[in-house]
Amino acid sequence: MPQRKTGAVVPEMFRLMLEKPTTEAYPFKPIQLPERFRGKLDIDPAKCTGCQVCALVCPASVITMVDLGTRKVGDRDLKVRRPLFDLASCILCGECVDNCAFNALELTKQFETATPNKASLLMNKAIVK
Amino acid sequence: MSTTPEQQKREESVGLMEYSTESLVPFGPIHPALKEPEYFKLVLEGERIVNVIPRIGYVHRGLEKAAESRPWVQNMYMFERTCGICSFVHSLCYGQAVEELTMYQVPRRAKYIRTIIAEMERIHSHLLWVGLMGHWAGFDTLFMWVWNDREVVLDLVEAIAGNRVHKSMNAICGVRRDMPENMEDRIVERMRFLTDRARYYRDVIDSEETMLKRTENIGRVSAETVEKLCAVGPMARYVGLKRDVRLNDPYAAYDEVPLDVITTTQGDVHALLRLRLDELVVSANMVAYAVENLPDGPIRVKVPPIIPAGEHSSHCEAPRGEIFYFVKSSGGRTPDRVKSRQPTMANIPTALEMLKGQTLADIPIVLTAIDPCFGCMDRMSFYDTETNKSWTWSGEELRQYGINYYFPERSKKQRDLARAVSSSTNQCLREDF
Repeated sequence: MPQRKTGAVVPEMFRLMLEKPTTEAYPFKPIQLPERFRGKLDIDPAKCTGCQVCALVCPASVITMVDLGTRKVGDRDLKVRRPLFDLASCILCGECVDNCAFNALELTKQFETATPNKASLLMNKAIVK
Repeated sequence: MSTTPEQQKREESVGLMEYSTESLVPFGPIHPALKEPEYFKLVLEGERIVNVIPRIGYVHRGLEKAAESRPWVQNMYMFERTCGICSFVHSLCYGQAVEELTMYQVPRRAKYIRTIIAEMERIHSHLLWVGLMGHWAGFDTLFMWVWNDREVVLDLVEAIAGNRVHKSMNAICGVRRDMPENMEDRIVERMRFLTDRARYYRDVIDSEETMLKRTENIGRVSAETVEKLCAVGPMARYVGLKRDVRLNDPYAAYDEVPLDVITTTQGDVHALLRLRLDELVVSANMVAYAVENLPDGPIRVKVPPIIPAGEHSSHCEAPRGEIFYFVKSSGGRTPDRVKSRQPTMANIPTALEMLKGQTLADIPIVLTAIDPCFGCMDRMSFYDTETNKSWTWSGEELRQYGINYYFPERSKKQRDLARAVSSSTNQCLREDF
């Protein structure tokens, strides 16, 4: 049996009293984020071609493709589609970013997404001109 | 004195047996000692527990059914969300079962990275559990210190995967992200720090009266009982059974990384504390070894979205014990059937045995000792307590039940039609309608 004694934690208590506090002064000081941090999704509308691969691979059905009419290429009329993101249900897995062949999507370091208005999380950057 | 069933039912509903010294105490489903809802009906004699009747199924989420309508890769992210603590190992286990169907080989470097993340997850899960045990033993100082040290390993996971809990690292036949460059020294140094801390906590729990009085000789079960009840993971190892999937059926890179399976024979809650802290040291050594001996090469093989027909199962050692996944494919874009079994499901019978003979005040510490994750384990089945009948439904029966429930008018016509066409409708289904 181990030797019973109280006060095994006392030296550690004194050590911790001399150290700086563990908690970070977050809202007043910016916090350090790692290089690979996965935050809010962002799109570069100029790079997006509307190929809808992101909508096909998304596990959380965040992305819906919106028809924006047609455009003429040679003799043919091609449909123009652009993605609409419902970021409220985004799980930040990054599958769309990995699969985008045109590097239009990226996960930013922005994590302060709390809002009282759920509709404000609809990202329609690629649709609105 | 004999009582009629009606009488007995009335007495039970009151909560007190009139002609007996035993009393019934409901525990849960909402209770401060339970982090997730689960109901236990306790039969007490004085303040000693003589019997426990569990009722599971409060957190059923329909994961297995949902998996049948999603593509193979998307299911991986869904199963990762089975648990908020041991998330990576679920996607690993599901991925391994699918990989066996594809017949592609996982690159060696990917296997090592999987091992590193899985062991880091074990460290963070065990630290979380030790903190909770301190909390329920009335030793909140330990809780604060341990959870502070847990940040060390969570920061490493965040630097590698980009998120503290849901790593999203696994792909079918590989991993999605390589290890960051120039991080070996930092990981090895942090692992040494955690090893020292685990040894210190081991001294604390062995010498502090607060912990000893709350954990020694609590929740004793014999090795025979545990073997009979098929406990898994630390719950089997704490009575001396050497059960560990990493040793018995190595997956990922566990056949190359030196592994030391810890067992004790003490067989009480205190032994569980020591066992998990010792396992933490082993895991830290494994991470350090894997990082130092990381092989070069690719990390992923591209797999077509259609998986060949067949069925396969896979099992892995999660921090709580063995998890099991069964996958069946008919050669399409979605699985035909996915079955998952979580360690808490296997450990509940042992937990009930541990509770017998303990006082009411020991329930939180004994229930926490099995490291329960009730949300993980709930799956669907029916059990009628009045007639002792149990049954399961097929997907078609479940669909019919849904139609009948929401559209009774429409269902009446359909039911008449179904009866006319076939007389082989399920008996239970008929009774229910």
